[in-house]
Amino acid sequence: MKIKKFAALLKVSVQSMLLSSTNARRKSRKKAATGVGAMVLIGFLGLYMSGLYSAILMEVLAPLHMEVLVFVFMGIGALVGGLLFTTFAVKGVVFGGRDNDLLLSMPVSSSMLMASRVSAIYLENLVFSFFVMVPAGVVCALLSPNGVGRDLLFWVRLMIAAVSLPLLDTALSVLLGALTAFLSAKVSKGALGQNIMMGIFFAAVFYFSFNLNGMIQGLAANAAEVKESLSWAAPLLWMGEGIMGSWLRLLAFVLCCVVPFGLMVFGLGKVYRKAVTAFQARSARHDYKLSAQTFSGQKKSLLRKEARRFFGFPMYFWNAGMGLVLLLAAGIASLFLRDDLLAFVEIAGAGLLLPMAALVIGFCLCTCIISAPSISLEGRYLWILREAPVKEQDLIWIKVGFQLLLSLPCTWAAGICISLALSFPLWQAAVLLAAMSVFAVWQAVFGMLMGLYFPKLDAVNDTVIVKQSMPVMLGMFVPMAVLGISGILYWLGGLAAGWLALLLPIVLWALLAAVCTAVLVKKGPALLQAL
Amino acid sequence: MLHIEHYTKIYPGGKKAVDNLSLHVSPGEIYGFIGHNGAGKTTTLRAVAGVMDFTEGSIVIDGHDIKKDPVGAKRVTAFLPDNPDIYEFMKGIDYLNFIADLYDISSEQRTADIGKYAGAFELTGSLGSPVGSYSHGMRQKLALISAFIRRPRLLILDEPFVGLDPSASHLMKEFLAELCQGGSAVFFSTHVLEVAEKLCHQIAIIKDGRLIKNGLTVELVGDSSLEDVFLELEGEKE
Repeated sequence: MKIKKFAALLKVSVQSMLLSSTNARRKSRKKAATGVGAMVLIGFLGLYMSGLYSAILMEVLAPLHMEVLVFVFMGIGALVGGLLFTTFAVKGVVFGGRDNDLLLSMPVSSSMLMASRVSAIYLENLVFSFFVMVPAGVVCALLSPNGVGRDLLFWVRLMIAAVSLPLLDTALSVLLGALTAFLSAKVSKGALGQNIMMGIFFAAVFYFSFNLNGMIQGLAANAAEVKESLSWAAPLLWMGEGIMGSWLRLLAFVLCCVVPFGLMVFGLGKVYRKAVTAFQARSARHDYKLSAQTFSGQKKSLLRKEARRFFGFPMYFWNAGMGLVLLLAAGIASLFLRDDLLAFVEIAGAGLLLPMAALVIGFCLCTCIISAPSISLEGRYLWILREAPVKEQDLIWIKVGFQLLLSLPCTWAAGICISLALSFPLWQAAVLLAAMSVFAVWQAVFGMLMGLYFPKLDAVNDTVIVKQSMPVMLGMFVPMAVLGISGILYWLGGLAAGWLALLLPIVLWALLAAVCTAVLVKKGPALLQAL
Repeated sequence: MLHIEHYTKIYPGGKKAVDNLSLHVSPGEIYGFIGHNGAGKTTTLRAVAGVMDFTEGSIVIDGHDIKKDPVGAKRVTAFLPDNPDIYEFMKGIDYLNFIADLYDISSEQRTADIGKYAGAFELTGSLGSPVGSYSHGMRQKLALISAFIRRPRLLILDEPFVGLDPSASHLMKEFLAELCQGGSAVFFSTHVLEVAEKLCHQIAIIKDGRLIKNGLTVELVGDSSLEDVFLELEGEKE
């Protein structure tokens, strides 16, 4: 009976986390598509990260018989990636579900409810862990000269590691998520605190990524010393050694994962109801003194509302605004890494620089998905806008405009910095800025259209909307696909003439921007009205 | 003030929620709209507020057709749903200013009206806190204040007494009366028949999407009570 209840609760938790695309009244096929989309995203990132870096690392380390380090680094990657995906989802899924009152009133223990929600987080981490660890195993089987990867027991040990690692990930993300939930409930500037925390977290991830190549070169020179210096990541070292053959080390690693997870589940189970109540109960103060209020006007007020939601909801800011951070980081990094870039010019040839700069900016813009989830985020508040004396057209364009207000200046800043760093002639800088502005406009309008066509107004929490709803998935992956097509067009155009290579992608983006704008103008108000 | 003519709402799938409803609300009038659950009250109120599209008929508010001139009609109305969800990321005062901005209310007028209504509902001290920290009743009061500061020509309320404490309910009735004295009208749904009987100048009873009775409260009730009339019309009392 208990297992049945647990399975039902787990199903609800997984559904609320993954199947978050459209309104319940719409077709379930679309719902399933989002779950698949989320899995595709996780799988793609895992495969890309693991496949690429496992191969690079293995080529360097296999001749030194240091394959174990590949699994250590992939383990660190899986751990960090898992934390990245789930830490900030924990606040919504484990502690902040809108169904808390309903489920806590049911005849199930609060520890079972908590366990089901934590299990949902574990499942997401498990998927990522598999997509990172299995490719590393494949690479080991293909590149390791000692043939260890072709032994069945190697795969058994790898599977045990891949199943255990997410337990540690989940324990850490639940603890960090609880801290985040506590901050937002108890600290008056909680959103600012969370944004700073996430900023530091992402800065560390970027620092690690940017320095990975240098670290790999260092590994080739002194792999043994690097292995000795990894005492801070001892459990992951044991995991690597366990996968490579030491059952004892593998057991030590499994215990390192199971014990913290067990302690976390046991401890949180004891205080779950209390924690959920404490994280939700923000008591209103009673010391406000009314002073003269000021007039702002409709559009300014609506824009300010969008800004309040964007900057005041860290999950929204860091998931949808990552592109803005990346754009500024890319611009600043290009100035600091000017010499390295110019050295690259000599290898790649000056002709490729402009499209590569456009590709970098375009990719950053693809991860700037502010307008796409904005309609879904209105959700139960939609009545406020619909009863207001504002045209639907204005409501829509203010949301698009808000994204452009942030993305265009960041695009221009990145474009100018990169142009300066690469010493682009004026015409190239102008082409870059104009082309990327067109792309930014299309991407914002397209995101809005997706938000209107695939709204999710009844999500169990806002986290699932900004993390993995259908508009967000489409708003990110379709522009990425368009970037890919643009690359092909550039190549095809280049076969005929240099100017044609530049013109074709820009024409494609302008065409897409025009078509999407026309559709949004014509159908947007009716779509909004129909919600 | 409000003219509903042959209003019909058919939901996708063919369910007729409201069928050929016509009623008029005059300036200065409080008009009660009663009926059992699922009778079509909320559907009608949402259509009047311009929140929901409808299939046939026309709704005109203070000369503005809600279909042809929705912005004009909304500018003179205020609508409060039965369970008003308010942006939790805003402070109470920010929400009131947000609404005031959408309705182009001047600085002086909003400062005065917020002071008046928030003071009366004893919410002034909490306006600096995020709406997420408000209790259900406080949110209800905030939503009411946001409606009153608009000085609407037509105030549309869906079950306004749910969640309000007795003193807040009393205050609201006073403010509704004050609003009507200024020439505005109130159109509201309720299940509290005693309140409807005492408060409303006119009452309409709707059943299965059809208007079955409407008129002046005194004429409708006569020597009986609204509860008796309602139950009789609903066929639940011989």
